[in-house]
Amino acid sequence: MAEIKVEGLSKEFGVGEDRVVALENVNLDVGGHVFVSIVGPSGCGKSTLLNILSGIETPSSGKVTITQDNHDAEPGYVFQAARLLPWRSVMDNLLFVQKDRSDETKARCQKYLEMVQLGDKVDKYPGELSGGMQQRVGIARAFSIEPDVLFMDEPFSHLDAITARSLRRELHEMWSQTKKTVLFVTHDVGEAVELSNRILVFAKGGKLEDDLQIDLPFPRDPAEDAVAVAKAQVLRKFEELDLIAS
Amino acid sequence: MATVVTTAPSPGRGLPGWVKSPKFARILFPFVVLGIWYFIYYTLDSRIFPAPQTVAVFMWEEITLTSGVRYSSAAENIYVQFGITLMRLTIGFFIALILGTIIGLAVGISKKVDAFFHDWVMGVLAMPALVYALFLGLALGFGNLGPILAVVIAGTPFVIINIREGVRNTPKELIDMARSFEVPQNKITRHVLLPSLMPFFFAAIRYAYAVGWKGLVITEVFASDRGMGWTIKFWYDAHRAHGVIGYAIFFIIFALALEKLVFDPLADRAFKWRPKMDAVQMAEGDFGGVQREGFLLIEDQEIEEGVDTTVAKGGNF
Repeated sequence: MAEIKVEGLSKEFGVGEDRVVALENVNLDVGGHVFVSIVGPSGCGKSTLLNILSGIETPSSGKVTITQDNHDAEPGYVFQAARLLPWRSVMDNLLFVQKDRSDETKARCQKYLEMVQLGDKVDKYPGELSGGMQQRVGIARAFSIEPDVLFMDEPFSHLDAITARSLRRELHEMWSQTKKTVLFVTHDVGEAVELSNRILVFAKGGKLEDDLQIDLPFPRDPAEDAVAVAKAQVLRKFEELDLIAS
Repeated sequence: MATVVTTAPSPGRGLPGWVKSPKFARILFPFVVLGIWYFIYYTLDSRIFPAPQTVAVFMWEEITLTSGVRYSSAAENIYVQFGITLMRLTIGFFIALILGTIIGLAVGISKKVDAFFHDWVMGVLAMPALVYALFLGLALGFGNLGPILAVVIAGTPFVIINIREGVRNTPKELIDMARSFEVPQNKITRHVLLPSLMPFFFAAIRYAYAVGWKGLVITEVFASDRGMGWTIKFWYDAHRAHGVIGYAIFFIIFALALEKLVFDPLADRAFKWRPKMDAVQMAEGDFGGVQREGFLLIEDQEIEEGVDTTVAKGGNF
């Protein structure tokens, strides 16, 4: 079982007057088959936390351990923009992040492309796909390495509402089937409520302000009363924490 | 009842579609040039300005070796002259490409190396080809070395500048993506860095070739006893404008042929991943932060019958 442990994590950028605190003394424990959303206003350090967890950035202080059954866990990452190699086909984009190009690996990549409904687009280049399709490839790429934990940084924020909704359903389906630990950054409270078991609320200055449990059965339809009520409760929490600009 | 406020434009009005097509414009160009040529021919002294047919006959005789002109014992006809120039161009071009790529990579990676080369590159770019043509003639005589060096001097700065911009425009987002998936560095170099340099490399090739060619011909005029540049001077000395114009047209034909038969197929092969204009959603055009344009490189997509060709442009020279 994957476990993410964050202890006393801080991150600062710049020095002197230009010093900006992105994260301040964050403590976190996430593990098992959970879908955890990180929400908060712009500049609250959501993406910085994900970048540190995935090794793109280093912390100023504190400790991060990501383990799978007491071994180092392998993370997968889905970015805000798909970040595909435009000069490689869809299949080659998935193979690029694999450790080998064996038939078994190719079959695994094909399986995840089929899960995101792109099984017939393996030879296409990213430029020949729509924005939604490109993001699907990004999701399939992250799942194709069969990571222990999955980090997702506002993956649907560039997409139109209809495409984003269908991708959320696919993502939920894949999460249910693969039993991954997912850490999902979003600024959309509705999205967080629809997908997550837990919502971590960050405030400006990079402080973890609250840790909310969403105990509603999946799949969740945003039109359902219970989901709408949960969303309203989270937004009320935002107001209590003074996170909504007046 | 609703009022119709817009209607689709009727297809029958205005010029027919084929007249408005880029292909027609391209075909029209030589005819316009020919028209202007005839106009000048009939309004100027025909002894100064030859008729198009005079030039055409001259070119035909040169190609078929029926003109009776033997240029020299070492290089007696157009094919030998052309072969000499092409050999010089090819050698100089590859030296410029290798040298410019090595320096361009170093300059792009290190600010210190950039500071060292910056003024020299700008200086050479600003130097008229005539200056080094004359100097190379004085320093090295009339052999092959001077003309080859002229190509190197003319082409290298363009390769340096384009490669430098390519290195500076490496797609950081894709490199971060690769690192977060723990892709080894050599794989990142092969699959991310090198392909992202390709548009800049192609711009470098095209410009090194174009300016190298110009530098070479001028050097052959002043500092060589053979080659296409020397042949143009031969006809200039003989006061035969049809010879000068005829050889200029040979140059143009060769340049266009090289563009169509070598550079375009190479570019099509290297950039087959680029979306066709009629493909899905060109509007988004964002591959996750890949920067495709550089300081001296402007990419222009031209649509012609569903095929897009990439035209790279350089700076002032």
